Amino acid sequence: MSETEPFVGIDLGTTNSVVGTVIDGVPRVIANRIGQILTPSVVAVSKNGKRLVGNIAKRQAITNAENSVFAAKRLIGRRWGSKEIEDARRILPYQLVPGPEGHDVRVVLGGRTFAIPEVSAMVLAELKADAEAFFGRRVAKAVVTVPAYFNDGQRQATKDAGRIAGLDVLRIINEPTSAALAYGFGKQMEKKVVVFDLGGGTFDVSVLDIGKSVYDVVAVGGDTYLGGEDFDRRIMDWLTFSFAKENQGIDLRQDTMALQRLRDAAEKAKIELSAAQNAAIHLPFLAAAGEGKAALHLAKQLAREKLEELTKDLVDRCIQVTERTLRDAGIRPAQVGEVLLVGGMTRVPRIQQAVKQFFGREPSRGVHPEEVVALGAAIQAHALLYPQKDREVLLLDVTPQNLGIMVVGGYFATIIPKNTTVPTSQTHTFTTVQDQQTSVRIAVLQGGSEKAIENELLGEFILDGIRAARRGEVEIEVAFDISADGIVAVAARDVDTGQRQSITVTATSGLTENELRRILDENLDELLERKQSGELERLRERAQAMIEEIEGLTPQVRDALDRSHYGKDALQKAEGVVSRARAAIASQDLQQMAASEEQLDRTVQLFKGLAGGAPVPGGEA
Amino acid sequence: MPVDRFQGFVFNAADLSEDVDLDPERRKEILFAQGHVGDFTHWQVLGISWNASAEAAREAYREKVKVFHPDRYPGQRLGSYRARLEQVFRRLTEARDVLSNEAARAAYVRQSAPPDEFARAEAQRLDDEARARERRARLARTNPLVARVSRAHEMVERAKRQMAEGRFAQALNDLSTALAIDPTFPAAKALAQEARKRANVEKAKDCWDKAHSAEAVNNLELALEMAAAAAEGDPSNPRYPVFAARLALRRGARDEARAHAEAALRAAPAHGPAHEVLGEVLVEQGDRAGAKREFERALELDPTLEGARDRLKRLRWSFLG
Repeated sequence: MSETEPFVGIDLGTTNSVVGTVIDGVPRVIANRIGQILTPSVVAVSKNGKRLVGNIAKRQAITNAENSVFAAKRLIGRRWGSKEIEDARRILPYQLVPGPEGHDVRVVLGGRTFAIPEVSAMVLAELKADAEAFFGRRVAKAVVTVPAYFNDGQRQATKDAGRIAGLDVLRIINEPTSAALAYGFGKQMEKKVVVFDLGGGTFDVSVLDIGKSVYDVVAVGGDTYLGGEDFDRRIMDWLTFSFAKENQGIDLRQDTMALQRLRDAAEKAKIELSAAQNAAIHLPFLAAAGEGKAALHLAKQLAREKLEELTKDLVDRCIQVTERTLRDAGIRPAQVGEVLLVGGMTRVPRIQQAVKQFFGREPSRGVHPEEVVALGAAIQAHALLYPQKDREVLLLDVTPQNLGIMVVGGYFATIIPKNTTVPTSQTHTFTTVQDQQTSVRIAVLQGGSEKAIENELLGEFILDGIRAARRGEVEIEVAFDISADGIVAVAARDVDTGQRQSITVTATSGLTENELRRILDENLDELLERKQSGELERLRERAQAMIEEIEGLTPQVRDALDRSHYGKDALQKAEGVVSRARAAIASQDLQQMAASEEQLDRTVQLFKGLAGGAPVPGGEA
Repeated sequence: MPVDRFQGFVFNAADLSEDVDLDPERRKEILFAQGHVGDFTHWQVLGISWNASAEAAREAYREKVKVFHPDRYPGQRLGSYRARLEQVFRRLTEARDVLSNEAARAAYVRQSAPPDEFARAEAQRLDDEARARERRARLARTNPLVARVSRAHEMVERAKRQMAEGRFAQALNDLSTALAIDPTFPAAKALAQEARKRANVEKAKDCWDKAHSAEAVNNLELALEMAAAAAEGDPSNPRYPVFAARLALRRGARDEARAHAEAALRAAPAHGPAHEVLGEVLVEQGDRAGAKREFERALELDPTLEGARDRLKRLRWSFLG
């Protein structure tokens, strides 16, 4: 099999995204069309209704905060009414509404509602376009990364986003695993590696046992709501609080534009403090003081120590999660062979210090914290597409959370415990709880709580046709199966009657299959339209340039052409070509224009040759 | 002659000819492994020898999964072999999970040991235990602190054995010694209390036997002394003070008799003979009404007490006369 089709690995981040690939066996990142590695994960609809993604969207966010969506990753795959969404609604400048079924979350952008996967899809489509510009052809195959602690719903939603963006998502893999893959790629090693991944919105820890090119994930842990944005928020809160104290209680949080400026300033100050001891924050004309008074400015100095004081509990939380994950993996900090720091937030000195203190060793500086995840994803995409001879890679991932069913009393019975290597299958036998019970509802759940309702519902089905008997006499066997692709299948069987029911759990991303199809159709139309209009524009420009060139050259070549009978004919032909091209431009027809482009091109070549003194073919001879 | 890798495994022709992108050797490898997921031990599954180290198990697992993980066949048609691969992979993971965990591995080593190995392992285990004891003893000789603790430990252990054998007095002795060496020794105090109680019961029984022997040879003084000692040693048994009261009456010590009778009633207020003996004491002391009440109560509790019935009858008569 030859390596013909290009492929990408995408790190879809909370604040920034990165795309990478493998070329000639070497992983590399692809810069976006403005030459940057990081593409902000920001999507906006401008005042004139245009969709904006990436840098351009981020730049206009200050003046258009309510129509600029950032940190969509924090919302993806979450339920309306969940704690996370309630928190987000309080602090986000854009508006969230429930979806048509009331379960999922939609965001209002330019007067239209979008499902979160649609928003993420816009970012993915942008990265896809960057990759296509790089390769010069269509790119569809991709591996996309998610935080290790994402549940099935969040993964499914991310997969849907990929589909909407026109990507064939080969696999969703975990960010820390991906980072380890990039770290270990091409190296011979046998050791236990801990990946400490603190990104913009999520925190992940993974413990891997690497050896003989097999990346065996031993344990994962994390917090999907802990990241750089929380650090920024602490700074923002400190700024708004001290501003209110100095300015008669003016609350900046009421003003979305001021809030957006504060957010940017907080992020900038945080980044500065990784290198400097002090950061100056100047925000002139931040708020109006009231009728007839001068506008208020904000000018503060933030010392590194102050930042560390403001965010101490966040750092502590990271270490606690790390400790727990190591315990799950059954290893002590001293047994760890390498600690990888991943994510922009690990540039913060206090974090590095805390990690160093916990593990008693210097963390690795061998990986680029922002690029490494996308590179790992690209390596995995490569491995999933083409057989590797020399640089083989095999990733053995684990289930991030307990999987099980609801049992009597509203409790959660774990069937596949977290950190189980996939593919896997487990069987558990249950009994009926009522006399003469003939059907049983199997609710498939995922999560870490003992109480069923505190876990994520992945799906449910009913097993009926159970033999009527006294309670406890009928045995029902429930089998869970997770394939290498992470697809969960659940089957229930009455041991006596052999009656069987099963489902393949496709976690609800919030979008129904119909909705997804509609979005895909819409996007396709739009894509076609955009492509066509882009192509037309390009052809028109080229045609016009060539017509001008031909007309410019005509006086020069007229003499030479007039001297041969062939030349007269050529001149007439050239005139015909030009007039047909003009007609084609006027018609806006893609096919006509493509055809005339070829003729124009030939004429230009001919005229250029003549003007340069080349003999007229078939002329003086 | 080459060794048959597949140990005479019979392959299904249909499986071998399925239209998939796998070469025949690989098919055989997969079919063979799948055919043995049920009957192979964890060692056999990973292709390592019994009692191989946890690290060896991890190593073997890494090699095996390269063959049996579906991701290793990118872009190839696998047909029914995909499910087979996953099944084998799960089995490999199960074996790895057990053998790479030290505690689980140790248990499995014993459980899956070949017979002669099992015998050797048992011998080894006993040997290890003996050695550990020896080591403790040696330590005890050299380190005074360890010596004290280990001496106390030894005493308590011996006391426990003695208690199990019913020799409570000796156990109490050892426990007291242990507590003297190490007053904080866990559970020794509770054990000592129990031992003391049980030892007293034993001793009381002993005294009771002696009291009867003395009475048989008419040595009433010794008999009374022993009966009193029994009553004191085991206050919960009313038979001891009842006997002591009778003996005291026979020796004419009425006050002492009354004290014993009352002690018997305190130990068991519903014990017929105790009321009977108190009645006898009261007769001697001249309280006929009280005596009558006690006899009636004794008979009410225990109608077989002929002596009490007799006494009561006599009391009535004399009352009438």
